[in-house]
Amino acid sequence: MERSARQGGKVVFYTPVLFVFVPILASLIIYLFKNKWVSLLVFVSQAALSVLVVLFALYLQANPDQALIVFGGWDERIGISFYNDQLSLIFIFLTIIIWWVILLYVFKENNEDNKFLFFLTFLQGIFLGLIQTNDLFNLFVFIELTTVLVTILIAYKKSGPAFRAGIYYLLVNTVGALFFLVGIILLYNVFGTINIRYLANVIPTHANTTIVKLAFVFMIGGISVKAALVPLFTWLPKAHGVAQSGISALLSGLIVKGALYAFIRMYHFMFIGAQFQVTELFFYIGLITALVGVMFAITQKDMKQILAYHTVSQVGIMMMGLSSLDSFTLYGGIFHILNHAFFKSLLFLGAGVIIHKYNTKKVGEVRGVWKAMPMLSILMIIAMLSISGAPLFNGFVSKYMIKYAIKGVWHKEALFFLVNLGTTTSFIKFSQVFFGPKPNVQKCSNPLQFVGMTLLALLCIGIGLFYQPIAEGLLSLDLSKINILDVKNWLDYAIFVGLGYLLYRFVIAKDFKIVQAIRDFKMTFETANYLFIVYLLVLFGIILL
Amino acid sequence: MSPILTFIVILVGLYGLATSKNIIKSVFCVTIIEAGVILLFLNLGNLEGGSIPILDGIVENIVDPLPQALMITTIVIGATITALALMLCIKIFHHYGSIEWKEVLGKEEK
Repeated sequence: MERSARQGGKVVFYTPVLFVFVPILASLIIYLFKNKWVSLLVFVSQAALSVLVVLFALYLQANPDQALIVFGGWDERIGISFYNDQLSLIFIFLTIIIWWVILLYVFKENNEDNKFLFFLTFLQGIFLGLIQTNDLFNLFVFIELTTVLVTILIAYKKSGPAFRAGIYYLLVNTVGALFFLVGIILLYNVFGTINIRYLANVIPTHANTTIVKLAFVFMIGGISVKAALVPLFTWLPKAHGVAQSGISALLSGLIVKGALYAFIRMYHFMFIGAQFQVTELFFYIGLITALVGVMFAITQKDMKQILAYHTVSQVGIMMMGLSSLDSFTLYGGIFHILNHAFFKSLLFLGAGVIIHKYNTKKVGEVRGVWKAMPMLSILMIIAMLSISGAPLFNGFVSKYMIKYAIKGVWHKEALFFLVNLGTTTSFIKFSQVFFGPKPNVQKCSNPLQFVGMTLLALLCIGIGLFYQPIAEGLLSLDLSKINILDVKNWLDYAIFVGLGYLLYRFVIAKDFKIVQAIRDFKMTFETANYLFIVYLLVLFGIILL
Repeated sequence: MSPILTFIVILVGLYGLATSKNIIKSVFCVTIIEAGVILLFLNLGNLEGGSIPILDGIVENIVDPLPQALMITTIVIGATITALALMLCIKIFHHYGSIEWKEVLGKEEK
């Protein structure tokens, strides 16, 4: 209380610190006692965390001055601080929902495996810290810790591909994070502070110097690696394709979004005063990412590779929204982050169940899922309709918001059309697994898994139907211009499905040489690094000139 | 040593990453980049002839303590990452019998 008094005489509750330490403490206890009853502690800590977050959100609404928490009572410019606003609260809620689902999904198979639960729960604490921090160096530390923990979780399967994907992920992302650190150093050298909120105020004073521009390039370049933008996305399909299904869902649904969150913080909060003219640049980077991702996705045969490349493509769509300075499109990007987290996690978890049952990852070898597992099929179909942007589902709403900004610019519209067409085509390809006669697979269902997946499916439909009140409450945004009952939207979707089916039937299913060539495309580690240097140079050239 | 020289260290690391064919060499290239970053920050925070940043009465002309505090953390993180990467190298060698990127990434999982 004495220290709290120094912060302008107000009482400060350090509740947000608990968001970081409750999962970490729980994970440590689970690690110490290797016992399947102690493992149940993950749910206790998860429940406690959920209650704390809800209480804190309510409290923050009543007392907006509690948003900033400086540890140790230091001056705001020197001390380490946490800052919570609407955006970070949304991400905290998203994190907790996804972790509930993942824990429910993996618990039955892993409840004896205390090390796995240790890493998984620890990662939640680190990720919640990454979301809340207001200190650049803290952000770097959290990013690096996330990288280390995710590497361990990817390599946890202890197979050859898992190890090589792990080291590829670790090295590429570490280089990215180190360049982020160089950016921090340059900013500290100019402004003498690493506090994000304070930097946001002072950056306009020196925005035109080369050193600040260099810092911007390094920081965004580092984040781009973690966000898997073109041409730096090569680690993502490797990593997400080989990890356990629960972990793949976590990585695609949430961890990639950590980088996008950092991008929002840097671009829309910190460097907004510098007024670099880069909206178009990031829009095109996003568009190319979306196109390249979808191009690889339609050619793949491995179920998890299809989904992993779709994550790349969807990150591109989010970047198209996030690059915009117009708040409607920007919120479209943020909304798409939420929606994508729900449907992509659901797809990965569902694919995990199918892979477990059929014991193969190849789309061509799995048939008759509808007859064998009708419940799972319904959940998967909901997720597929969401990701391809069908009206009444959540993907439609956010895609519409992102598309709204490019209305009338025909070449952007045409390219976006191609992205949508590719998405629909590859999910028509994926949906072939539902057809066919009932296969001979063993019956063993895990109700816990279905609880989480049903929750995600309900969220997909719920947001798709009640997007207006939800957007009003979460983002204070008026979405009345989106009309899901408009015949034009339904017609658009029908055209996508029709064209997608033709494309699938006459190009993809025939497996032409070019399709095979794209599928077999492999990038070496050296080339990936070379492209990273080129990417930095291009960014620097565009921003400096 | 001027900050430009530390940038050269970083560039050497990047050059190594873009050319080396061996996984362990790549790991050490990352370490070299990290060393360059640490040297860069210590250089920028250095004060020629300044005293150590410990408050024992004399509080004038001290070196900025923040870069040193931050870089100790970075060194710790770097050690973690190097250890983890080398462990993965050993595991990869056990599975593939090689630590060349080309041979490891070239082998298809079937």
